[in-house]
Amino acid sequence: MPQRIWMVAVICCLAANIPAQDKNDGAAQSKVLALESIWNMAEEKGDVRALDMIFDDSLLYIDEDGSLLSKSQFLARVKASGTGVQAITTQSIGVHAYGETVVVAGTYRVKGMEKGKAYLHEGRFMDTWVLRRGTWVCVVAQSTPVLH
Amino acid sequence: MKFALYGCLFLVAVAGSWQTGALQEAQQTRILALENAWNQAVMQKDAKAIAPLMDDELIYIDYDGTVMNKGQYLASLRAEATHFEHIQSESMQVQFFGWSAVVVGVYREQGTQHGKPYVRRERFVDTWVNRAGSWICVASESTLITH
Repeated sequence: MPQRIWMVAVICCLAANIPAQDKNDGAAQSKVLALESIWNMAEEKGDVRALDMIFDDSLLYIDEDGSLLSKSQFLARVKASGTGVQAITTQSIGVHAYGETVVVAGTYRVKGMEKGKAYLHEGRFMDTWVLRRGTWVCVVAQSTPVLH
Repeated sequence: MKFALYGCLFLVAVAGSWQTGALQEAQQTRILALENAWNQAVMQKDAKAIAPLMDDELIYIDYDGTVMNKGQYLASLRAEATHFEHIQSESMQVQFFGWSAVVVGVYREQGTQHGKPYVRRERFVDTWVNRAGSWICVASESTLITH
C-alpha cells in the first residue's frame, strides 16, 4: 500500500471518536499525540491531503515570525515548499485534556533546505485540538522560536 | 394545520438561533473583558488579580520561547527588571468550540527592561475553558511579530 494512502487510513482511525475509549482524558490525549506524529510525517512528505484531514477548516496557524495563516494558506505553503523540509522532530512537554478540547505544548526542531541553503529551526509550539462531529481536528497552531 | 405547525417550528428555530447567538455574544464580551483585565493586571504587576483567571495547570509560552507554569508566570510578573508602561491588545478574535474558546490577537507592549526601553508586538493565542460558568485560561502563547 502506498505510504500516503496508509497515512490517510491511520488518520481516519485515529481521528474518529470512539465514545467508549474517549471516556477518559488519557485516550483523547493519546489520539491527539498520534495525530501530532502523523502531522510531522505528512509535512515532511508534503502530503497536503493528510494535513487537510488533520486541520479544521477554521484553522489559524501562527508562524515563528508572527504571521497569521489560514488553513488554505498553510497547505499552499507546504505544497510550494515541496520536499524542502527534511526532518521534523517534536517532543511533548505538556498535554492537557479539557473535555472535548486538548492542548499540546512541546518543542520542535525542523531541518530543511531552502533555495539551496540548509536551515535549522528550533522552538516551542502549542496546538489546540477539538472534537468536532466525532473527529479530533486541530483548530489553532502556534510556533515560537527560542530567543534566549 | 400543517402550515401552522411548520410556522411554529420555524419560529422556534429562529428564536433558538437568536438565543444561541445572543448567548455567544455575551460569552464573547466576557472573555474579551477578561483579556483586558489581564492586561491591566500585568501593567500593575498584580499577580493576585491574574491568578484566579488561570487554571492551575496553565501552560504559558512567552515571546522568547520560555515555557512557564502558573507559579512561574505569576512570579515573572513580580520581577523587578521589567517596568510596563503600556500594554494594549490591538485586535482580538474569539472562536468558540463547545465549552472552550480560543482568542487570537495582537498585543503591543511598551516599557523598560533592565533600564532599557523596549516596544514589542506579539501575536498571541489564549485558550479558555468554561468551568461551572466561569472562564479560565488554560494555555497562552506569544510570538514576536518580526515579518
